[in-house]
Amino acid sequence: MVINKIKYNLIKSFLFKLSACLLVVFIVDFMIGTLLKKYYFKQKYGYDAMTTYCIEKANAKMLVFGSSRAMDIFDPDIFEKKMGVSCYNVGRVGEPVFYHYAILQCVLKRYKPNMVILSFDAGNFSKNQDSYDRITALLPYYSDHPEIRTVVNLKGPYERLKLLSHIYPYNSLVLPIISGYSVQSKIKYMHNNGFIPLNKTFTGPLPTFDYSAEKEMDTVKINSYKAFIEQCIKSGIQLYIACPPYMINSIGTDQSIIIAKKIAKEYGINFFDYSRDSFFINKPGLFADFRHLNKTGAGLFCNMIIDRINQ
Amino acid sequence: MAFVPIYIVILGFTIIVDYLAGICIEKSEGRKRKYFLIASLVANIGILCIFKYYNFINQNFSFLLHGFGLSNPIPYLSILLPIGLSFHTFQAMSYTIEVYRGNQKAERHFGIYALYVMFYPQLVAGPIERPQNLLHQFREKHHFSSDQVFEGLKIMTWGLFKKLVIADRLGIYINGAYNHLPQQNGMTLLLATIFFSFQIYCDFSGYSDIAIGAARVMGFNLMTNFRRPLFAKNTGEFWKRWHISLSTWFKDYLYFPMGGSKVPVPRWYFNLMIVFLISGLWHGANWTYIIWGGINGFYLIFAIATKKYRDKFNKLIGINKFPRLNLFLEISITFLLISFSRIFFRSKTVEDAITVMKKIITFKGSIFNDGTAIVIYSFMAIGFLLAVELKKEFYTGTFTLSNHKNFWVRNSYYSFLIIIIILLGVFDGGQFIYFQF
Repeated sequence: MVINKIKYNLIKSFLFKLSACLLVVFIVDFMIGTLLKKYYFKQKYGYDAMTTYCIEKANAKMLVFGSSRAMDIFDPDIFEKKMGVSCYNVGRVGEPVFYHYAILQCVLKRYKPNMVILSFDAGNFSKNQDSYDRITALLPYYSDHPEIRTVVNLKGPYERLKLLSHIYPYNSLVLPIISGYSVQSKIKYMHNNGFIPLNKTFTGPLPTFDYSAEKEMDTVKINSYKAFIEQCIKSGIQLYIACPPYMINSIGTDQSIIIAKKIAKEYGINFFDYSRDSFFINKPGLFADFRHLNKTGAGLFCNMIIDRINQ
Repeated sequence: MAFVPIYIVILGFTIIVDYLAGICIEKSEGRKRKYFLIASLVANIGILCIFKYYNFINQNFSFLLHGFGLSNPIPYLSILLPIGLSFHTFQAMSYTIEVYRGNQKAERHFGIYALYVMFYPQLVAGPIERPQNLLHQFREKHHFSSDQVFEGLKIMTWGLFKKLVIADRLGIYINGAYNHLPQQNGMTLLLATIFFSFQIYCDFSGYSDIAIGAARVMGFNLMTNFRRPLFAKNTGEFWKRWHISLSTWFKDYLYFPMGGSKVPVPRWYFNLMIVFLISGLWHGANWTYIIWGGINGFYLIFAIATKKYRDKFNKLIGINKFPRLNLFLEISITFLLISFSRIFFRSKTVEDAITVMKKIITFKGSIFNDGTAIVIYSFMAIGFLLAVELKKEFYTGTFTLSNHKNFWVRNSYYSFLIIIIILLGVFDGGQFIYFQF
């Protein structure tokens, strides 16, 4: 009897201590999470602010989706002037196709743009963990945007559990949030509707790239690409897919571009492949690095794309 | 990483062989004992060789034949390395060796022996336990103890902090640098190499802490695997603080049987070098690991051979009069030497390692910065780690938050760690580095 009572007291004390620990964690988590949420969505500059703007406020008639190559190349000013439609660049560094699909879903919940350009890169369908890690950028929108949840859940089986925490959606974002209010960010991001031009010019020896080796393709990415196209068709949006130029003529052809072109053709969508365009090949003066056109190159490319669309 | 159910058979095979070998060794006398021990060792090392070293040996054989203009007819094996194979093989071997030496009674209960090899907290990456420490714990009755549970959870929390907040954060920068060598300059690779020393320490000791903590929650005590190696004053001391369960394994089962230091000096040096080369090979079937082992063997031999002269030199310049400065220099030099050897540990090939060294020597270029936040977080994480370890190393017994008498102070400290893990931890698909061994 006495032993049982001692045991009971032991367990009671243990449960009390454990609950106290968890309670402290939950309270602090809630407080810090709420604070981070407030400041995250109030950011004015930076990638996160641009994503928030696109999801919650943008109303441009034309949207450009893609990775850093979209962000640094497609200049909305040129599109606006030459085509007479408002344009916003939704591109974000390193983001894979399922990210673009999620953003498109959020946008369509609010309004329907007339035209969308999806910028496509070599290796976009290759299997790599990094693409899934980058879904993290969508976590702050998880609670208020149910339409992105299927994409967020691609990150891992425990994402829903992790999102019970109020801090987790803002994991590693403390410094970017602070920087979102800084003068430096204001200078870098203030203009150009999501377009971030690269002003430097490539110097140094030309690298070589070999795409001849077989790479494993990611069916999730391919399916997201198809879903993106289908969503645009279903919503009556005029979709163009474009692969901006690279500085060098690679060995072999990238498998992702071949597949993307084939799928686009099946859906009757225009795919403008400039990946090996002779106008840009071996012209470092038009590039900031071997993947990204600089501001001059970007201007030339945008004009070419507009001509193709007008045709 | 993949789960291949058939690979459990490998574990089952070594368990059965070693279980029977232990009983046979104990029952036998004279030479027979040795034969049973050899049978057990051959089975364990054989499996290790097939899964870990077969393709490596075959590859080098092909290279050799190619030099003579011949082709290698022996096919390569298309097999995966079972996770933690080197760890549980070494743990199993320590059992039969200890039974042979008479330090451990053979375990008659098959389930308990199997548990000794497969005890889940330390199955995949150690600590490599000894039967004298672990086996008897499986026979003892374990009562629920809230103190032990909390102690275990505290150790686990610190392990998770080291893994998620420090190791994986540094890993982002290191992978960016080491996986794109042609694009990187000397300064970037120097920083990445120094970061790697912190990363591998936090990654591996983090895992050990989680394993030790998980075992403690259940009432089991596993051996200490790390004792603040960042503060080692020389490379010899470093190996007494780093991966202690493996260092002592090699000392007890390889170095001492070879004669240790109680042999003529050249043979002593030879023994040391052999131990380090095999330790390198244990880590992976790649020349980079063997060279890494060789460099560390060289450090130790050089330190022993030059100790007299170094002491004289120190006396001459009077550095001993400034003990704090002396200590700082000793720790810094040891850290840099160990970090240098790890260039081979981190590089995929010997050529890559040489490229890294060549670039580092030039000291050219600005530091690669793929987002300022990553670098700032990395330095903050290292700073916090150093502060905690510095306190544990040099200021024991002074004010402590982690073991404060007041429950709420202790509680707040660990809640703070958990919050920092959620706030700054890296929650991507990263793995523990030592899982591959």
